[in-house]
Amino acid sequence: MLSTRDLVAGYDERTVLDGLDLDLPTDAFTVIVGPNACGKSTLLRTMARLLTPRRGTVLLDGTAIRDLPTREVARRLGVLPQSPLVPEGVTVADLVGRGRQPYQRWWRQWSAEDGAAVDQAMALADVTDLADRPVDSLSGGQRQRVWIAMTLAQDTDALLLDEPTTFLDLAHQVEVLDLLHRLRSERGRTVVAVLHDLNQAARYADHLVAMRAGAVVAAGPPREILTADLVRDVFGLACVVVPCPVTGAPLVVPAYTGGNAPAPAPAPAAAAAPAAAAASGGAVASPGGDGGPGDASAAAGEPTSSTASVPDARPATGDAANPLAGSYPSKGL
Amino acid sequence: MTTTRRPDSPAADAARLPGRSLLRIGPVSLLIRRRAVLVAAVLTVLLLLAVVLSLSLGTPYVAPADVLRALSGAGTPYDLVVFDLRLPRVVLAAVAGAAFGVAGTLIQSVARNPLASPDVIGITQGAGLAATVALTTGMAAALVAPTALVGGLLAAVLLFALGARHGLAAQRFVLAGVAVAFGFRALTEVVMLTADPIDGLRAQIWLIGTLAGKGWTEAAWIAGTLLVLLPVLAWAGWALNSTALDDDTARGVGLRPVARRIGLAGTGVLVAAMVTAQVGAVDFVALVAPQVARRLVRAERPPLVCAALLGALLLVLADLAGRRLFAPTQLPAGVLTAAIGGPYLIFLLLRGRRRSS
Repeated sequence: MLSTRDLVAGYDERTVLDGLDLDLPTDAFTVIVGPNACGKSTLLRTMARLLTPRRGTVLLDGTAIRDLPTREVARRLGVLPQSPLVPEGVTVADLVGRGRQPYQRWWRQWSAEDGAAVDQAMALADVTDLADRPVDSLSGGQRQRVWIAMTLAQDTDALLLDEPTTFLDLAHQVEVLDLLHRLRSERGRTVVAVLHDLNQAARYADHLVAMRAGAVVAAGPPREILTADLVRDVFGLACVVVPCPVTGAPLVVPAYTGGNAPAPAPAPAAAAAPAAAAASGGAVASPGGDGGPGDASAAAGEPTSSTASVPDARPATGDAANPLAGSYPSKGL
Repeated sequence: MTTTRRPDSPAADAARLPGRSLLRIGPVSLLIRRRAVLVAAVLTVLLLLAVVLSLSLGTPYVAPADVLRALSGAGTPYDLVVFDLRLPRVVLAAVAGAAFGVAGTLIQSVARNPLASPDVIGITQGAGLAATVALTTGMAAALVAPTALVGGLLAAVLLFALGARHGLAAQRFVLAGVAVAFGFRALTEVVMLTADPIDGLRAQIWLIGTLAGKGWTEAAWIAGTLLVLLPVLAWAGWALNSTALDDDTARGVGLRPVARRIGLAGTGVLVAAMVTAQVGAVDFVALVAPQVARRLVRAERPPLVCAALLGALLLVLADLAGRRLFAPTQLPAGVLTAAIGGPYLIFLLLRGRRRSS
């Protein structure tokens, strides 16, 4: 469906992607992950023709996207930018209706198909009840569903989303990801999303693309490619990868790097725990949560801080005997 | 699906969008705000009343009934006063007001700023400088307006050249405009100070903007411009709907935001330059009409047609007040538009704040 050939793209003087070749599978939920400033958003924006590449091509079903009229692309490829500007005073139905733009002209401003597509998009994204509300009066989670509804109204085969879960609380993140999953499984759409959370990526993706410094490090089903080695390679973070107690997908737990000292419980107990921990997802998630703030601070400021500080911090506090320090078997899930 | 599909009538589908109806004329289907239709109808009635009032008041006073009889072509003793003395000026006021309303709507939408108007982005100052030069160098009176038009267009070219680098993005557009405005204003003052005081005064009056002594010719130029631009304006009315989207989102739904901004801004400055060249800087109308119309229609962006009608109404009333308020002393319409529009805008702002808080 979507592929890139020798793609070179960037902003001003900075080259972010340098000769990228990538093929994204059709009818799959592809998630692109990678550290900050690795070029994942640039890749998504370039594939969505929001950014013009300096060299190389983006192919949409085998045709160079730049040779296609932008309206035609908009009928085949929907895109949700990272943080779209919320227009003041525009109602939900109105905004979702803007998704029909590629089918409209000034002399043909609305058709029966437009109405049906808007209805369906609002129902799918579960915003039908909000139809008459101004978008700027909604909560973050509702807004995000409205934006997704707008791209759904475009009625495209493929959907590209740039960090659709950023700024949402955990419950809303799951809600949005569930929606994207349904689009793929029930509607047969091709979904491509940039996500920050590795565990969510592993849980929802059919196809995972891990990027670092503008290049693809690994691509494939998460259960095959997501290992502690890959995380170390891509993020520079030592971690433990265990099967998720709920879905069995790989679960990335950062190794002990500081913060609250691990509980004194002996290693065998921790190894035997997963079944018990399954009941309380929160308990399992909390070590991952330790990585969360670190990730967020890196997002706010220096992108290199996490890669630099983590390996340094580990030997200082680490204990070779401590299974949480990174020697835990994590390969071959 | 949870929603039941309505019967496939387009009207029912359009009803999904709150407050809209679908207007079908052959192959053309337009999405119309019902409230905008109501507001437009009311404004039209008010405009007609204002026109009759304006034709009636003055010395000599002509009773509204006689005005109507004269307009119907019945032949009355008042034909000369109504047709030759007052009608040209009233029509000019209406046409110029409408043009200011249109220009303001387009410029504000590109600038994404309710305070943008032809004088904020330098079009007025460009026309003003050219007019000042024309008036102080003793050019023929008939050449003042064409010269001013050239000046306004020159300012527009400069504005586009300065704003183009960032795809005419809102911030850049306004900043470029402010720079152009200050440049031209400074030059105007230099010309004015070095000129003969009498000429300087004439230039001053031109800059404030007045309809005195103007009529059919000016109205024809403005109306002609609007007429030629009618297809573009029809497109603009539709394109304005999506100016609130950011560039990435707009591209995502298949729009070309930069081309759209150039089209909208280009049309706006063209209309602004033309109307300013003909009647001077009565541009407060361009600032107020779109915003007041937007609030009347309760839309998220200024409605083009209602803004034009409101602009026409405002300028007809302003010119009437300027003629009659301190008669026999006549005030330029430019003074009065500010006097009428300013307080009303403040009133609306205060009311809006109270409602939102």
